[in-house]
Amino acid sequence: MPKHIAIYTTNTCSYCVMVKRWLQSKNMIYEEINLDVTPERRQEVLEMSGAMTVPVTIVTKNDDSKEVVVGWNLAKLVPAVA
Amino acid sequence: MTPDKPYDVLVIGAGPAALSAAIYTTREDLSTVLVEKGVVGGLAAITDRIDNYPGFPEGVTGMELAEDLWKQAERFGTKIEYGEVTAVDGKDKVKKISTTAGEMYSKAVLIATGTDWKKLGIPGEDKYYGRGVHYCATCDGPLYRDKKLVVVGGGNSAIQESIFLTKFASHIDLLVRGDSLRASEILQHELEEVKDKITIHFNTATDEILGDEKLVNKVIGTDKKTGEKQEFACEGVFVFIGLKPTTDFLASSGVERNEFGFVKTDGDLRTNIDGIFAAGDVRDGATMQIASATGEGATAALKIREYLHHNRA
Repeated sequence: MPKHIAIYTTNTCSYCVMVKRWLQSKNMIYEEINLDVTPERRQEVLEMSGAMTVPVTIVTKNDDSKEVVVGWNLAKLVPAVA
Repeated sequence: MTPDKPYDVLVIGAGPAALSAAIYTTREDLSTVLVEKGVVGGLAAITDRIDNYPGFPEGVTGMELAEDLWKQAERFGTKIEYGEVTAVDGKDKVKKISTTAGEMYSKAVLIATGTDWKKLGIPGEDKYYGRGVHYCATCDGPLYRDKKLVVVGGGNSAIQESIFLTKFASHIDLLVRGDSLRASEILQHELEEVKDKITIHFNTATDEILGDEKLVNKVIGTDKKTGEKQEFACEGVFVFIGLKPTTDFLASSGVERNEFGFVKTDGDLRTNIDGIFAAGDVRDGATMQIASATGEGATAALKIREYLHHNRA
């Protein structure tokens, strides 16, 4: 289980729902950063992922290393949260 | 599931046609799995607002409709596997479906993969994908508060998504290749209400998307009447230039498609391969309406039930 999972989302993003539902199905707790609520944090998405899109999932491992998953991408999400 | 213990029904896709079919097949106690590579609900799920789906007098967001269809299908035992189908082998009674999540087997297959957005195919489009180039306004539109945007397209989706994007953008340049909009009258009336935020550029080809290596900062177009090059400063470009069927995975399957890639069926939604059916937007002759897709999903489910009954061991 990772130390921390954060997901950048927007209210109307269905791909964000997919990531959240998948994490919920694995009983994983995550912090949601909703950019409709906190638009000032938009720049963080770019800085952390190099992308300007949502969802962006930041997985912090127990050794404090981070993995960034852009989009609804199970091929990357599964190993990132393992 | 293995070749000797196949599913009754495997549905490729998880949009409205697929979910509707699954509601019917699972209620009939047919073991059913949906294989989805993207978002459950398909393109409907990423549509801002749906005003023409019966039963919702005030309209419904695509995300809400998708969630409800999903919950309803799950209620009766529908299983969803996430992965991409890469090949379909339908020559035997038990069909083999190769996916990125492994090989799967089923007595009947429903192709309900719908459509996906066409790309412009111009320089900068792939380079800046997700960094200013987008195909989902409901996902990424909120990232462009008070920013200038370009939208490419002149059909229903381009106009509906442009109207949605005016909630966030400071201004939108709408680039339309033809000399008029193809969108419905009602959408064009709605567009009038936000006309102070949108400038429509007719007869304009979209040639290139440029940026600072990190993010988009302009689009280059050409006025097709004068030949004059035009620059549109922007931070984001949303592309809605039409749809193409998601059927590349059928290349070696023997399933007949039309010249555009849509799957051919008969009136019972059967393809030319026994036990393989198609429903929804992916089907040749589909009306590209969510209401039609859910209806076709139900019809396909009933026809599949008949097929399984006639072919039971």
